[in-house]
Amino acid sequence: MVLKLYGYASITCTKTVLCVLEELNVPYELINVDVSKGEHRNQEYKAKQPFGQVPYIDDDGFLLYESRAICYYIARKFGGIGRIIPDPLDIQKVARFEQAASVEVTSFERGASGLVHETFFKRIKGIPNEINPTIVEHYRMMLENKLEGYEAILSRQKYIAGDEFSLVDIFHLFYGALLKEAGFDYLGSGYYPSITRWWNEISSRPSWKKV
Amino acid sequence: MVLKLYGNPHSTCTQRVRTVLEELSVPYELVVIELQKGEHKSPEFVAIQPFGQVPYIDDDGFKLFESRAIARYLALKNGGVGKIIPDPKNLQKFALFEQGASIEQSNFDPSVSALAFENVFKPLLGQKTDPATVEKHKTTLAGKLAGYEALLSRQKYIGGDELTIVDIFHLPYGALLKVQGIDLLESDKYPNVKRWWAELTSRPSWKKVSGQ
Repeated sequence: MVLKLYGYASITCTKTVLCVLEELNVPYELINVDVSKGEHRNQEYKAKQPFGQVPYIDDDGFLLYESRAICYYIARKFGGIGRIIPDPLDIQKVARFEQAASVEVTSFERGASGLVHETFFKRIKGIPNEINPTIVEHYRMMLENKLEGYEAILSRQKYIAGDEFSLVDIFHLFYGALLKEAGFDYLGSGYYPSITRWWNEISSRPSWKKV
Repeated sequence: MVLKLYGNPHSTCTQRVRTVLEELSVPYELVVIELQKGEHKSPEFVAIQPFGQVPYIDDDGFKLFESRAIARYLALKNGGVGKIIPDPKNLQKFALFEQGASIEQSNFDPSVSALAFENVFKPLLGQKTDPATVEKHKTTLAGKLAGYEALLSRQKYIGGDELTIVDIFHLPYGALLKVQGIDLLESDKYPNVKRWWAELTSRPSWKKVSGQ
């Protein structure tokens, strides 16, 4: 039975999972969960995903949610080891990968998603008047502070987890691209030269361009 | 050479690593970084930890930061497989562990760390707590704990039916909630959360690290 991905393809982390599926050429079926109609918040959905979030997968009866956990599972199961995730036997390489993975969640996504939600998402919901400048400033400063660290890391190594491309680079694509849409082109503008070098490379991969 | 942990006893993330070290009975040396003196922002420190945060480890020359990455590394290296981290070769079991790890980092940590910042750290820094921000994060946390309640009604721990480092990850910020007068983890409103939290906080490793 082909892997089923329950999600909302356009503006959620469903896109991140799709990118990984494409990167590894894994056959799948995308089943649309209509987030715009609140389908992810009904009781039937929450029986599968108790936090009422997209996406989740059903791999021949095995249910899994949290986009990053799904991506790790797909990578481990479908030939991603040695390509986008390190060999589990190389404990130090795994550790550096996990270090980068943790940095992505707490030092990139927190600020980037906060900024995108307060600006871009409020605009597309038709409530630009509800954008709170104090909150925007809070997330802007949070993100800028962290990008200094990113610049230092990416000036010493090619990708976020080391000198090889990995899943953790892919995890940055979704909110990274939305930052530009939101009017904050931190990654592509060249203000942080090493970050821009890295961003141009990871965002031009065919798997990302496809989704 | 004994493992060196560069951190501060009062830092939540240092406590996270120390609890795992205690669980695994791994000998270590705590090298205290004086946060109030800004030692973590010095050029020497930032050369190793580019975000200027504690903790990091030096394991016989191998340096690593991010408390959760350190915890995973310690567990995999020091006999934690099958005890506090599942065998990575068990695809589904490890996937549920990763699901739990992501839940903690994305659905628990943002609210609890923001609350701790407003109510505990801001006063120490001479800054003013913002009541509206506190209310917002309390509401978010309550919503997330409803999800936790559903999850813990189906499985014993956050990462599956066995205790793992993912459960331990919740301890430092979770324990600070009580200090702020927020009793969500001990509330009868979430009986399974209450059961899980009581068990977690009674572990000898945590009692030792939190100075009880």
